[in-house]
Amino acid sequence: MNTEMTKKGVDKPELVQQRNWKSPPFDIYENKDDLLLIADLPGVKTDHIKIHMDKNELTIEGLRTAVKHDHVLAEESEVCDYRRTFVVPPGIDEAKIKAETKYGVLRLHLPKSEAIKPRQIQVKAG
Amino acid sequence: MLTRWNDLSRTFAALEEFRRHINRAFEETDYPRWSHQTNALSARSWPTLNLYDEGNKLVLDAEVPGLAEQDIQLSINQNVLSISGERKVEAPEGYAIHRQERGAINFARSVSLPCQVDTDKVAAQVKDGLLTVTMEKSKEAQPRQITIKAS
Repeated sequence: MNTEMTKKGVDKPELVQQRNWKSPPFDIYENKDDLLLIADLPGVKTDHIKIHMDKNELTIEGLRTAVKHDHVLAEESEVCDYRRTFVVPPGIDEAKIKAETKYGVLRLHLPKSEAIKPRQIQVKAG
Repeated sequence: MLTRWNDLSRTFAALEEFRRHINRAFEETDYPRWSHQTNALSARSWPTLNLYDEGNKLVLDAEVPGLAEQDIQLSINQNVLSISGERKVEAPEGYAIHRQERGAINFARSVSLPCQVDTDKVAAQVKDGLLTVTMEKSKEAQPRQITIKAS
């Protein structure tokens, strides 16, 4: 399977930018059954994570609810939304994509369809 | 011949200057960087901390994705708040690695708070990878309204 499936910072022109966003760090793993994407999305509630597939582009968005603070003493990281788009190789079973979050970490399973899974072929003696 | 040699060395000096610029630019970013020597993220500024003053209390935010309550040690000594812990990142069993941007990290940071806080009234919670520490200011540091009497 193609390992070069990342495409950073793809912007959809029709989206209205309201807040700054950054591209969150991702780990990408693969085994014979699926691709596993793990991302750090600190501060994003589970129901504020949007995952959508458009043809072969998978976009993960995480929206943060910012709390307004009157008096900022130090701010090392600006509260911003997360967005990242990947080009997914063909043969992913879109209907079976699963996602879960725990401690601000998103785990996304992209199962491979039966057609592209490796198969063992039995050799029969004739 | 001599002049040509000078031109050449000047070119290399410019290249060297450029290289130094690039290095400096990378040093200045606060994004955790992967170090191949230690196989861990640079712990200098992880997690990123935000500190807010809310009148009678101080609020500290830290982005700690992947950490549970028991993974974080928090202590306050006088007006210095220390946060430390370890984040482990392991490849799931049976998976091949294509990309690893989230690193394991051993971290320890201390911040000095702008005023004394009441150490009995400190509350900390982790939610969705965000640590929030709420510290009530000590009595002397509380803002006080002073009524002006008419004489």
